[in-house]
Amino acid sequence: MSGAVVSGPRVEGRDGRGVALGRRARQVALVVAGWLAFAGFWTYASNNLVNPFILPTPAKVLDEMWTIASTGELFEHFQWSLMKTFVGFGLAVAIGMPIGMLMGTSRWWRAYFHMPVTVAGNIPGITYAVLALVIFGISVEGPILAVALISMPYIAINVAAGLDGIDRGLLQMSHAFRRRGRDILRHVLIPTVIPFVFAGVRLSFALAWKVEAITEVFGASNGIGYMIRQSYDEFSVAGILAWMFFFVIFIVLMERFVLQPVERRLFRWRPAEVTS
Amino acid sequence: MSAGTAPTPTDALAPRSPLGRIAAATRSDRGAYAASALTALVFWQVIGMRFERIPTPAEVAEFFWSQASSGVLWAAFANTLDGFFVGLGIALVVGIALGLALGLSNMVRTFLNDIVVVGLAVPGVIWALLAILWFGFSFKTPVAAVALTATPFIAVQVAQGVRGTSRDLMRMSTAFGVPWHRRIRHLVLPSVMDYVFAGFRFAVIMGWNAVLLAEWFGGRAGVGFQTRTWYDANNFTGFVSWVLFFIVFIVLLDRLVLERVARRTFRWRAQATATPRGGA
Repeated sequence: MSGAVVSGPRVEGRDGRGVALGRRARQVALVVAGWLAFAGFWTYASNNLVNPFILPTPAKVLDEMWTIASTGELFEHFQWSLMKTFVGFGLAVAIGMPIGMLMGTSRWWRAYFHMPVTVAGNIPGITYAVLALVIFGISVEGPILAVALISMPYIAINVAAGLDGIDRGLLQMSHAFRRRGRDILRHVLIPTVIPFVFAGVRLSFALAWKVEAITEVFGASNGIGYMIRQSYDEFSVAGILAWMFFFVIFIVLMERFVLQPVERRLFRWRPAEVTS
Repeated sequence: MSAGTAPTPTDALAPRSPLGRIAAATRSDRGAYAASALTALVFWQVIGMRFERIPTPAEVAEFFWSQASSGVLWAAFANTLDGFFVGLGIALVVGIALGLALGLSNMVRTFLNDIVVVGLAVPGVIWALLAILWFGFSFKTPVAAVALTATPFIAVQVAQGVRGTSRDLMRMSTAFGVPWHRRIRHLVLPSVMDYVFAGFRFAVIMGWNAVLLAEWFGGRAGVGFQTRTWYDANNFTGFVSWVLFFIVFIVLLDRLVLERVARRTFRWRAQATATPRGGA
């Protein structure tokens, strides 16, 4: 879903290098112009249209970001949020992968899990946040549970879809040669499924990261969401915006430099449209 | 669909004795759905009895009845839906316009791409908190939270739809000098309709999340506020029941209304695969 990002036009080399370079320069100029226009409008708005308390200038927000980064607060709370997200993903894989394998290999189990998985994947994130709050109160486990619950359906559905495309011939041959179920699982099913587990993680990453933060806003004593909550309690719009930008920068960097490259590697052997 | 490792007996082969028929029914898809619902109910009952904070199904049903008969339920939903729909309307208008611009012009896309990406990544809770700080306890707060959360998703979907519009037809209409407003009306809009709809379904879930968050943190009425009130009162039956009310509402709206409309409208298309679209 948030993988559905509008990507810029591709520069094609066929018109000659000079033209391509010129186009590239124009593109960079436009991107920079976009950001400058945005920052300019924002500065104008906070100086002239509204109270600067309501909307602090970009400079003020940058200053706030610098303070957060230089005092070490950033590192500390990111560490907590990341840890909770990863443990949550681990839990989601542990639950979602077997469910997906059942769904992918048996029609009955597919029907059985159809409803819970679609419902779990289609309800708003606040649900998981309050659920975690009810079960654990203010805790570290709450966000972990929320991440696990929100990403589990994505993993299950991807694994089930991945098994649909499994090499039937390989399975039949394994049966013909009387391989044990455990061997088939280990050497055929699991290797097939691993890339799809990853695709599930990648698809749900942005969502899980957001739900993790929401859960921390509701009840936590550390993490990014907790800091956003603290800024809110102090009526600090600059603080909220500063943490928001760190949050967003992290999602974008993660998508561009970790998730997309790894996915491309794992799915090199497939036509591109199957993964998305 | 199934990998065929465990062939299930078809109806024709099923034994005709009553017991055999029951066994066959249990193995059918419908049997699986029933088993699933039953498991969920039993599970709920068990954890409801085991954990003091979680009410049992019977307690929730009773609470639902008390809220519905006193009218609190309907008033809260009416209140929330008011802001929700206004916000969605704004998101739809702005999102479609932005999406068309992003999809039709390379320049606009390069110019605004990063900002839209940032918009996609900002969680609803941040918009909700900012909206409260900006507008206080007013009607504008939930409207702004919904509109800000949902707009980028609609815009991105529409932009994708526009880029999927037939290049040949576009080029031909340019060559024949068809004015841009007619090109949008007769070529682009029809082909992006299902993208608009997909974006709208995203927006509904995202927006529902945002409106509840806005009401939870800074509302004086509505579903989110009610949920918060029961939580603050430490009444977990009331709290869990209200959470279930808003989950059931969004699931029914999405599954029963929006999905059916989508299926009717896009009947002529090949069946699209369903992917989960949780919202935060």
